[in-house]
Amino acid sequence: MKKLAITALILAASGGVLFAVSAAEKSGAPAQEPAAQAQQAAPSEGKPAESAAPQEVVCFESRKGASEVTQREISPGWPNVKCSPTTGAALWYGDPFDGTVPMGKMPGLENIPEGHALVKPRSQKLAILPMCATACHNGVGPQFTPPTLPKDKKPTPIPTMEGLLPELKEFQHGRGRIWCLDCHHTTQRNKLVDNFGDPIDFDQSQLLCGKCHGDKLRDWRDGIHGKRIGEWASDGKKRWFLCTECHNPHNVQQGERNRGFAQLQPEPPPQTPKGMQGMKHELVHPVAH
Amino acid sequence: MTVTEDMNSQAGAERQDTQVPRQPAPADPSRVALKTSRRDFLKSGGMLSLSSLMGTAALMTESDDAQAAIEWAEHFQKNYRLMTPEEKAEARARLERRYSEEYGKKVTVDTTEAQPGVLMGYALNIRKCIGCRRCVHACVAENNQSRGRNRPGEKIEWIQVLRMERGKFEAEKMNHGYPEGLGIQVGGNAYTPVGQVLEGQYHYTPDLVPEKDATYMPIACMQCEKPPCVKVCPVRTTYREPDGVVVIDYNWCIGCRMCMGACPYWARRLNVTNPVLPKEEMNPVTHYLGNRPRMRGVVEKCHWCLQRTRHGRYPACVEACPVGARKFGNLLDPNSEVSLILARKNVFRLKAELNTFPKFFYFYD
Ligand code: SF4
Ligand code: SF4
Repeated sequence: MKKLAITALILAASGGVLFAVSAAEKSGAPAQEPAAQAQQAAPSEGKPAESAAPQEVVCFESRKGASEVTQREISPGWPNVKCSPTTGAALWYGDPFDGTVPMGKMPGLENIPEGHALVKPRSQKLAILPMCATACHNGVGPQFTPPTLPKDKKPTPIPTMEGLLPELKEFQHGRGRIWCLDCHHTTQRNKLVDNFGDPIDFDQSQLLCGKCHGDKLRDWRDGIHGKRIGEWASDGKKRWFLCTECHNPHNVQQGERNRGFAQLQPEPPPQTPKGMQGMKHELVHPVAH
Repeated sequence: MTVTEDMNSQAGAERQDTQVPRQPAPADPSRVALKTSRRDFLKSGGMLSLSSLMGTAALMTESDDAQAAIEWAEHFQKNYRLMTPEEKAEARARLERRYSEEYGKKVTVDTTEAQPGVLMGYALNIRKCIGCRRCVHACVAENNQSRGRNRPGEKIEWIQVLRMERGKFEAEKMNHGYPEGLGIQVGGNAYTPVGQVLEGQYHYTPDLVPEKDATYMPIACMQCEKPPCVKVCPVRTTYREPDGVVVIDYNWCIGCRMCMGACPYWARRLNVTNPVLPKEEMNPVTHYLGNRPRMRGVVEKCHWCLQRTRHGRYPACVEACPVGARKFGNLLDPNSEVSLILARKNVFRLKAELNTFPKFFYFYD
């Protein structure tokens, strides 16, 4: 009986250690951090768990900074999304329709039942959009004090468009053949603009992009170009990713790489096969055979 | 030590611990898989005649030790294709009970059959893939592959992303008589070789992808219409389902690896060690022919997420791909994404000359 109890204790202890390690790994901490966390956690064990406030896990979807999703449990042990511990990218969807709304009017979608074409509205998430037409481009000029400005009377530089959107320095869209007001509405800066001069909502960016990229718009509408999640049947319920969820319209080409999608950090490589330590021949560029 | 020797020595160790009395469930998640492999069991039972074995099985199923009864029942269950609906339901209930206990959560084992009128197809835009490997890791999260990292063969990934150089023709190289490293050709070669053999880099580790001069080509099971892996399987445990997906009944796999040798796409993986599947990372929504936890010594491969696709959802890799390079749909539906791609785009299949007729199509704009 005693023996059994001891075995159980050892099992429990090793189980605990295992769990701690795997939990630390899951949180995406670099290799040294689990140890540091353990050290921090150890002295506070006796105290009430004040540091145990659950941290919000937010992962980005297609490209960093474009659309994000906050991790939550849909049902016990079933998260709405799983995030990569190395890069923070969304890797797995338990709920593909999290935070979506029906897509607005879009020509060519007449055959898709109401509510089957979903998009994730992004306009509320765009950091400076609410200020664009109220603070600066309201036809009057800047009147209110953005919270970033200091309160004292010393002269301070006002952030320019470039300061607010650093990627504008790389602005290459159309290689200089288009400029701001080809896409942004002249008087309603919270809107985009179509060829008739009518405003387009920021959550319907495909209507703007399709002005020039008609072939891509057709492919996107038919599900060939662009990303969709949800149901695979051609009449299934799907969430459509909008153009700007994948492409950065202000920096489409990323310099000389010129492939339309932002570079990002890759996930880790596969396990090294047995007997192939170092994998030098694999890692040499260019490909060695 | 070769992999086989490694396996045998483990098998020896396993056989020993089948002789000691049953212990409480081990805490190490790597040990939760089935303790004896089917092959070990058949080996050790080789002395007995089959009829007496069956008798013992009947006895065991009625014994008080539920776990042992489940294992015995599993060893004696039929090939999945030959099971009656009642036997399938029984096997399903048995597995659900065992997995739920092992992983400490409610695990469901789905047995949904193929829908009539569906032939699943896959398309991948080779120009769009940026080599980020999110599909690979989404697949692991969805399909309960082994996650170990310490021992060789412990970490299993079904999708491989191959990095290839982009080749080009250059004027300066017009008169290069004997192209370096390319053999016996004489008379000029203005061409820079690309990864023309599918032996490129799987272990590339740049800071950022896509790299400027690289092309990426993910490969996994192509769900061939004429699958050589099915042809060579001596126990007929791998077969083509009516909706076109090639599946494996893990309980009948003897781990002989004939299919791994036959598959021209390196799509199949063997569980050399006991799969390492931590409880909290285990995906509890499983399919009998799909992502249910595997045991040591069986072959597994991509099955287009049957547990999702049979219920209408996209495979996990499609949903994870950040650039939307991956497309999935019904080849028999002219409005599906894959059908439209086949109608409209430039499409090729990998190693088409082998007449395996993959239902996985690569395309480009
Ligand atoms: S790709 Fe390989 S494993 Fe898949 S069906 Fe074809 S031969 Fe079989
Ligand atoms: S997730 Fe998409 S882009 Fe990334 S490697 Fe896979 S197929 Fe390529």
